[in-house]
Amino acid sequence: MSTQYLEELVSKNTAGDVIPWLATSWKEASDGLSWTFSLKKGVKFTDGTAFDAAAVVANVKHVQDPTTLSSTGYLALAKVKKAVAVDDSTVRLDLSSPDSSLLDSLSQPWLAIESPTALKRTQAVNCESPVGTGPFKVVKWTKQQSITLERNDGYTSPPKDAAHTGKAYLAKIVWRFLPDSASRYAALQAGQVDVIDNAQPDTIVAARKSDQIKELDAPRPGASNRLELNSSQAPFNDERVREAFIRGVAVNDGITSLFFGTAKRSYSLLSSVEKDAYSDPSLFDIDTTKANDLLDSAGWTTRDSAGYRTKDGKRLTVRFPVSTNQSIPAERALFEQIQEEAKSLGFDVEISQLDLSSWYGALAAHKYEIVSAPYTKVGPGVLGVLYDSASITPAPSGYFANNAQVDSRKVDALLKQASAESDATKRADLYEQVQKSVLEGYYVLPLYDQQNHYLYRTSVHGLRAMPTVSTPTFYDAWVQR
Amino acid sequence: MTILPELPVLPAAAPTRAAEWRSRVMAPRVVAGAVLLGVLAAAVAPGLLAPGDPLAVHPVDAFSAPSLAHPFGTDDSGRDLYTRVVHGASASLLIGVAATLIGTLLGLVLGIAAGVGTRLTDAAVSRVLEVLFALPGLLLALVIIAFAGPGPIPATLAVGLATAPGYARIFRTRIRAVRSSEMVEAARVLGRGPLTLLVRHVLPNALAPVVVLATLGVGQAIVWASSLSYLGLGSPPPAPEWGAMLEAGRTYLQIAPWMTVFPGLAIVATAAATTVVGRAFAGAGRR
Repeated sequence: MSTQYLEELVSKNTAGDVIPWLATSWKEASDGLSWTFSLKKGVKFTDGTAFDAAAVVANVKHVQDPTTLSSTGYLALAKVKKAVAVDDSTVRLDLSSPDSSLLDSLSQPWLAIESPTALKRTQAVNCESPVGTGPFKVVKWTKQQSITLERNDGYTSPPKDAAHTGKAYLAKIVWRFLPDSASRYAALQAGQVDVIDNAQPDTIVAARKSDQIKELDAPRPGASNRLELNSSQAPFNDERVREAFIRGVAVNDGITSLFFGTAKRSYSLLSSVEKDAYSDPSLFDIDTTKANDLLDSAGWTTRDSAGYRTKDGKRLTVRFPVSTNQSIPAERALFEQIQEEAKSLGFDVEISQLDLSSWYGALAAHKYEIVSAPYTKVGPGVLGVLYDSASITPAPSGYFANNAQVDSRKVDALLKQASAESDATKRADLYEQVQKSVLEGYYVLPLYDQQNHYLYRTSVHGLRAMPTVSTPTFYDAWVQR
Repeated sequence: MTILPELPVLPAAAPTRAAEWRSRVMAPRVVAGAVLLGVLAAAVAPGLLAPGDPLAVHPVDAFSAPSLAHPFGTDDSGRDLYTRVVHGASASLLIGVAATLIGTLLGLVLGIAAGVGTRLTDAAVSRVLEVLFALPGLLLALVIIAFAGPGPIPATLAVGLATAPGYARIFRTRIRAVRSSEMVEAARVLGRGPLTLLVRHVLPNALAPVVVLATLGVGQAIVWASSLSYLGLGSPPPAPEWGAMLEAGRTYLQIAPWMTVFPGLAIVATAAATTVVGRAFAGAGRR
């Protein structure tokens, strides 16, 4: 959504290379401790404020201000000490340590540049009517119903890979909220809407049979969808119990049937769109005999009347809070299957379906042993966010990203090296070692890429997903009537 | 619910009419009785009717259409829907009966307070009941769930509490009517104490119609409890509860309609059967 009215300093092309957007060029200092960006000239926010170095400085300050409660943006700028306006169209970021994923970070929508004038308003007002430099602007927001966007006629700043320059083709976009998947698809079929997002597996399959509807499959970058096992407390603080769970719970058939073949099983911590993703299926071969032996050797030898394993009179219970806002019905059904599979091993998986804030609450209170927490970030730098022991410490918003609570000096050291490494090949090698370490420690059960399917009517042309975080962009789009 | 059915006057002599009466009145009752017996059997001994495990998943067989191996088809995780519908009977019936019991007992207490108490208690209880009547029953149940949190026990309580005002009002009216009857007047003249009057004369006469009504209410309670589960406020998935199964199938209405059809049929059949049987009782009570 925000891609239509907010823009970032840099973007990426489909090959994964960083390309200019609001910044025309950039340079890293030889010690890696500062980056200098030249900004596009003559760009204005839709409220008339000029886009300049001071605006970028204000935005960095805004994201780093704890009262903004930014989670992902805050973590992405963790290494930025301060932003300095060198002159009107040059800005310098000073870092506390080299950050090889800085450009990746800056290409993400949560680090989009907003109008500094608009940022001075209260948080609530700013969230309702954000002001950016994008090809459209928000004119009306009816809560729970729709958002109306109108074309920004003064638009001059498309990313380098856009198909045209100047203002957008579409004069107006109405963004409607249709929470029910079946009604979304029905609206698309009836031609009431031209594009739907978050298409569910069964509708994607149905749409493939239709010659009126096309599919845009744009998996999100960053982490794959995966189960993380909380290694900070019993029973998953024992690696044998973690391996038993991962070796004993078969998910492939469930993924195939629930997603109707639209989602491919992943064996990697990273999304398949990440160049540096490392995948090792052999770690996830199902071997229930071995799984049972591992649980026996970990001391979970007895079983109670319900058939669950026990140790010292305590049942092998693992809590699995599921956010109903972040998981689709097919995924929730998969989690139920996992619960049932784990039962035969002797695990008592307690699934609780929670709304988003209760779910964050359960994580913050460490009341979980298993969790599925999607994390989208451009580039392999996401590994540093998710598996560095520093990420166990919560951000000001109470959020922490290392849900598996991987606390390994080896992983920390590799991540630090990778982050400071500017040579792409060496960096990829370091990140591969990180991924190996985490996968081989049985902290994570990868499931599939973060699914992101759009369906659109064949009358829509020029729609594409941003190569950064796969959000749709309507700048080049037009509709044939 | 509060309207008792008007049964046809029965002319015993005319044989043609008797035959018509058999086919128009008795046949539905026989069918309803059979359905209810089936549901009861499923609730008491589900393992006999469906020996499988209602929770056993088999992803490879997901979304299978009804067949000999799976008479009702399978759901999104390959669970056998026939087994789940059979095993779901006890949960639905238990919630239906338990909620109705809660409703009638609470209604009884309130009804006695209003019907026997002073004019002030009567006025107070009646005003409270009127306020509760202003809210539709299911909405009241939702309000209770909002405070108690979701789950099968809160759902039962919620449905029970939400039906209580209806029962309370009928109790109150009945108790008042019986209290002013000549029979009670006579007992009072004979010197019976107020408690004896209440227990021996008023309650037995006031209770009978409510028992009949409660039978009718079970059907409604089952529908309400299923509605709450459908909204995700009753039994959590993957428990084989009819309302929850209906909700799970909703997503796949286009490709696997059997996921909603069979649990839906079970709810409709059970609720309809209890209602028909309840009406039969009501008719018998009036004759």
